[in-house]
Amino acid sequence: MKSKKQISLRQDCCTAGLCRTLGVLAGLWFLLSFTPAHAEDVLHLYNWNNYISDATIARFEAECGCRVVQDYYSDNEEMLAKLAAGATGYDLIVPTGNAVEALIRQQVLRPLDKTRLPNLGNIDPAWLNTPFDPGNRYSVPYAYTITLIGYNSEKQRALQFPVDSWAVIFEPRYLEKLKGRVTVLDSQRELLAAGLKYLGYSANDTDEAHWKQARDLIIRAKPYWAAFNASSYIKELTVGNIWLVHGYSNDIFQADLDAQKAQRGFRILASIPKEGAVLALDSLVLHKSGPRPDLAHRFINFMLEGRNAAELTNLIGSGNPNRAARAYIRPEIAASAAVFPGAAQLTHLEMLRDLDRRQRRVLSRIWTEIKLR
Amino acid sequence: MAPEMSEKTQSSRATRLARWLVSGPPLLFLAVFFLLPSAIMVLASFRYPGEFGGLAPLFSTVPGVLHGLTFETYQFFFSDIIYVQVFLKSFLVALATTLICLLLAYPLALLIARSPKKSRDLMVLLVILPFASNFLVRVYAWMILLGPQAALSQAINAVLALFGLTPVHLLFSPFAVLVGMVYVHLPFMVLPLYTNLEKHDPMLLDAAQDCGANAWQRFWRITFPLSMPGILSGAALVFIPVLGMFAIPDILGGTGDMLIGNLIKEQFLGTRDWPFGSTLSIMLTLAVLAVAWLAARLGRGGKYYA
Repeated sequence: MKSKKQISLRQDCCTAGLCRTLGVLAGLWFLLSFTPAHAEDVLHLYNWNNYISDATIARFEAECGCRVVQDYYSDNEEMLAKLAAGATGYDLIVPTGNAVEALIRQQVLRPLDKTRLPNLGNIDPAWLNTPFDPGNRYSVPYAYTITLIGYNSEKQRALQFPVDSWAVIFEPRYLEKLKGRVTVLDSQRELLAAGLKYLGYSANDTDEAHWKQARDLIIRAKPYWAAFNASSYIKELTVGNIWLVHGYSNDIFQADLDAQKAQRGFRILASIPKEGAVLALDSLVLHKSGPRPDLAHRFINFMLEGRNAAELTNLIGSGNPNRAARAYIRPEIAASAAVFPGAAQLTHLEMLRDLDRRQRRVLSRIWTEIKLR
Repeated sequence: MAPEMSEKTQSSRATRLARWLVSGPPLLFLAVFFLLPSAIMVLASFRYPGEFGGLAPLFSTVPGVLHGLTFETYQFFFSDIIYVQVFLKSFLVALATTLICLLLAYPLALLIARSPKKSRDLMVLLVILPFASNFLVRVYAWMILLGPQAALSQAINAVLALFGLTPVHLLFSPFAVLVGMVYVHLPFMVLPLYTNLEKHDPMLLDAAQDCGANAWQRFWRITFPLSMPGILSGAALVFIPVLGMFAIPDILGGTGDMLIGNLIKEQFLGTRDWPFGSTLSIMLTLAVLAVAWLAARLGRGGKYYA
């Protein structure tokens, strides 16, 4: 789950009379300002929760003289399910790699018109031409998350556990000191991928024998873990109940921000294990049902400008595939390997491919065994 | 004679009509909200999963597209003992929750039922007051109450430390799941028990006392048997929802707390395997029906006492 922040604007009216007057004025203003010509310039964006800065949206709206309407989802399955159920009218969507592939195969995406995207050159070529969309016919890289190790800096100093390897998550000799203070993601694919990586296999390995090896590794480590957790571990890290997690880079960034804000006296740091990790690249794609491909292209090109692309990273600590954004990103964030992995680390990162129905079923059974034993 | 006959048939037609008018809406409700969804579920359990979630089409003329019906999913369910184990575990948790709820709810319901009439309404209101806040919020509150920094954990672990025992973690454990389950479902046990106990005739107890029965005998021979229908409906109201509950194990459970509800939820939201999720749901529905049937039979037995 992506970290989320909700901003609610609420105006309290002191007296009923004032309220009524304001209501009438607002009604008049509404009638006067929304002529049909204005109302049509609307861009519909279907996005993750808290996955774009409000400042960025406001600047785009000012620049194009249009309105951006956002709808939100909290995981790819949800988004795919909603589209499969017939949701239409979205100009832009921000799916993760394997969901991009799924949408391409379903033939519901509109090919990009690259002549309208002069800023495309800002994207680091390392992030282009992914296996999901060779030649980037449909997708423009937006931001990425790495699944890695997050830890409490003070506890790490006191207990001296290693953070450069998945061993600390899976090996009882390290876990003994951490019993009940570790959480791992409640995600079949992510946890299995960590196990496979530790065993020296690819995160996308589909050999059942290798899966069973990873299962045994997980079952051996399980008694030391507090929980499988994909949402509340951010808070537990911040409070200091949990000291070590297998989690998403932007969640760990969020936990660190919260810990600093609360002046906890410790930091929540992230580390990419040397065996490698899972990388999730989210891309902007155009849905065929969107009525305004012109605005959508304009928005993509706008988001490719360094300053606009940087705002998201500054907000949630997401990885940024945009070279021009570097200059605008706060230096302490830009220095983090979890946000900007080096070239050597990048070669160890893998994007998850989709599994077919039989593989999903086998994995689900392995997962049930893991949870039950 | 003739007019009398027609009057009779007319009146019987009227009663038949009345019967249909009365039982029609609930029957319709049952058909639309139970039979129809169950039929959809049964059909879904025989279909193939769709590639991106949902179901593969029933009919397709495009070559290479998976379609039609299959027994594959049921074969998969019965191919491994593990799914039966998940069911058994869920039943045990539901049973434990029901028993604990009963033990906690019975004295409370009795206390309310025997209070002066004036204060009863207030006490019942207090029992249902927790419903005023959202169920998830209340379960999340237990995360704080059971967390390692909370007074409860600190106190228990301080006592354990006195005896040189290793500290325990209350949160993310089967214990936390049971606490959450009992907490959420307790009112569902209290209310039917109270409704039943309130109706008992106090004269019966007086008579028993006059015949020389002591307090325990009066409870065990009179009150308890009479409250059997209340116990059974309370038990059903607790047992059945607990059997399908997935949110509480998700939030409070640790690394081993998977119940059948979690497994079903995962098939739909995580694994994109609707046919298997449907198969599991059917098995669960059958299990619940079996329990309800058992309860109904026991309930009929209970009427001997009344």
